[in-house]
Amino acid sequence: MADDHNAFHDDLGPEDDTSIVSTRGLEHFSRKVTTTASHLIGPLADPNAHPQYANAMSEIARQIQRPSIQRSMFSMARTTPTDLVRSKLSAREIQSRALSYVPEELLENIPEGDNSYSLFQGFKATFPELTDEGKKHRRRVSRGRKLLDDHHHAISPDSPHAVQKLRKEKGSMMHELEMLSIRKNMASSEIREIDNKIANLAGMRKIILERLAGLEQEEALMEHDILDVEARLEEAQDLVAETETTVLHTPTHSDDDLVKDEEEEGSGFMSQSIYEKLPSSNTSTPSKSKKPKSIRRKSMPILHEHFEPGTSIREIRAHPDSITALDFDAPFGTMVTAAMDDSVRVWDLNAGRCIGVLDGHTASVRTLQVEDNILATGGMDATIRLWDLSKSHYDPHGNQVEEDDDGMAFGNANDQPVDPPADSMADCGLFTLQAHVDEITALHFRGDVLVSGSADKTIRHWDLEKGRCVQTLDVMWAAAQASATTSTGEGTWRQTSRASDRTADFVGALQVFDSALACGTADGMVRLWDLRSGQVTRSLVGHTGPVTCLQFDDVHLVTGSLDRSIRIWDLRTGSIYDAYAYENPITSMMFDARRIVCAAGEDVVKVYDKVEGRQWDCGAGVTGAEEGKTPAIVERVRIRDGYMIEGRRDGVVGVWTC
Amino acid sequence: MTQLPYAIDAETPLNPAELNVLKAQYEKEGDMVGVQTKFNYAWGLVKSNVRADQHLGVMLLSEIFRTSPERRRECLYYLALGNYKLGNYGEARRYNDLLLDKEPHNLQASNLGALIDDKVAKEGLMGVAIISGVAVAAGVIGGVLLRNLGRKR
Repeated sequence: MADDHNAFHDDLGPEDDTSIVSTRGLEHFSRKVTTTASHLIGPLADPNAHPQYANAMSEIARQIQRPSIQRSMFSMARTTPTDLVRSKLSAREIQSRALSYVPEELLENIPEGDNSYSLFQGFKATFPELTDEGKKHRRRVSRGRKLLDDHHHAISPDSPHAVQKLRKEKGSMMHELEMLSIRKNMASSEIREIDNKIANLAGMRKIILERLAGLEQEEALMEHDILDVEARLEEAQDLVAETETTVLHTPTHSDDDLVKDEEEEGSGFMSQSIYEKLPSSNTSTPSKSKKPKSIRRKSMPILHEHFEPGTSIREIRAHPDSITALDFDAPFGTMVTAAMDDSVRVWDLNAGRCIGVLDGHTASVRTLQVEDNILATGGMDATIRLWDLSKSHYDPHGNQVEEDDDGMAFGNANDQPVDPPADSMADCGLFTLQAHVDEITALHFRGDVLVSGSADKTIRHWDLEKGRCVQTLDVMWAAAQASATTSTGEGTWRQTSRASDRTADFVGALQVFDSALACGTADGMVRLWDLRSGQVTRSLVGHTGPVTCLQFDDVHLVTGSLDRSIRIWDLRTGSIYDAYAYENPITSMMFDARRIVCAAGEDVVKVYDKVEGRQWDCGAGVTGAEEGKTPAIVERVRIRDGYMIEGRRDGVVGVWTC
Repeated sequence: MTQLPYAIDAETPLNPAELNVLKAQYEKEGDMVGVQTKFNYAWGLVKSNVRADQHLGVMLLSEIFRTSPERRRECLYYLALGNYKLGNYGEARRYNDLLLDKEPHNLQASNLGALIDDKVAKEGLMGVAIISGVAVAAGVIGGVLLRNLGRKR
């Protein structure tokens, strides 16, 4: 760097010469004058003998030494005329000056720099790395050093040449070391910088999350208002129609009915399903009743997706006894819970309130499913009941809003269920499917197809359009058939040795898709059926305990068993794709696009993140120990789009983001 | 190794490929660009011989000055140097004097201060020369005209 300094002054030389009034030229000139003068006078006498002449010459020389005069002359000028002209006249210059101008207050606020390296040093350290030339140079340096090592013995170590070379090498190595330390400091300060940025972003995220919560709340209120207006509009229309008909006096009673029927069909609320046509629903619906309106919200709440995974959204004291089944239609939608106390309750997850109680089953409900507004429940009384939840008389923001203003926000855990009006669910019952002779342990429906598994060791296939049983699948018979045809014995009923087997449900889980049916049974087998032929197409062997839960998508089939393991099968090949186990038997499992959640006999829900391949716990048990609470063991769990609900043995339902 | 570059460092431009590397790095980091990357690009621009590049470089430097207080002190010097190269001696002196105020023994800053003085003096002299030349010419022409007028009378 010192060399650079000197070189700089040398560089200035030619620039000096180019200026019009060159100081160097003048100095040259003065030197010439003095030499000529001394040459002329020199031979005659010593210059000292002519003081007056020397004085005169030095006077001239001093006058000719311009720079000092110039400096004194222009010291009061802050800048040059060209600069002044430029800063006043050129639009581009003015613009760029305005952009790069640093205001005074910033200039006054200059903290003491305690950086371990300057930005320029950082530049010096990174720049060679960035360019190819630099890389080449580095390589050359290292190669050169190797060469040096190679030739080290050739040169006698005592020659001055070798000493010089070694010294040089040491210098370059020291330089490299310095560079390395700067690079190191740079990396660490960059990390600190990123940490700061992350902290800032986290703060911003929090603010925006709050904004999102506010917006969602507003949205919900607006939806409520829209519903109100819609109801009023409907009433007004009805009134207008009525006055018209009375004025005209023409339509007969039957015409009126026809119009009504069309209206109901045109409402489009259940376009693809024909449940409405079934006699029970039409007769039970009073002709004057309001048009069924969907409890489901029009807009999709997304707030939960932005919460930290594992955040509690709500805790509901749903039942006084252990939860036996639960399901919900959509995040912040409608939830249905069933418990050992033989009651079935419907909940508004958004407000955390009980909408109503479904009466009908004479024993406790073991399994249920909610799809849109349709609910299917299967109970220990061997019946399956179908319900239309949209027919409930429930105002999502009704008269309870006043006393529970923050009902939309996330309620506290001690929310006591508010008892809904006794008859709020009176119109919900659609029909009952009765054919099984023992308790229903599993059911699943999709479209018009419903399948149910029962302790009577059969699976029944129902047509919801006609409301009757289409076929009965005898699991034992199918197992015997399979063992007869295949000598491997893979399809036979295998008696597992576990003691708990006797209490396990014969059919643990079911899922249907068109004509494909998957069922998991107490022998630990998973059978895939073709409903068209009524045959088992494939048996998946692997579980050593009763299968309790099962779900498949287009690629994988996931099963959970009392043998404590979760198995993920490849649907096409039927081979095992992945498997993992927990400490306790698995009682319930469900997956969404990203995670597999399990109830595995613990006070937390076990979550397996498929994307990250990570296992983690979610639920009350995670923080329960710190808070001095002992949450009950989770029995049932459901998840949809990262919104998870879990039902525990003490009747509490927890809602979590996942 | 010195903490700050001497003015000579700013006078040696990078070749376009090298500058492009710095630019690409700067653009890659987008909004979340780090201080060092920003400085690297800014310094590459200041070293350039193209005036537009130098302008952009100084602008980036002033951005660094604004956003990272811990770098302000050294940024004073870079800003002074950049403005010096642009010929904005007023600004350059403003920054450099402030830095000298804080660090009277800063070699690079005092060196730059002297350079600014030199340039101002030289260009100022030039300006004086031009103005005086114009004045002399005007005087001569005026004199001639006056004499002509006088003769006519």
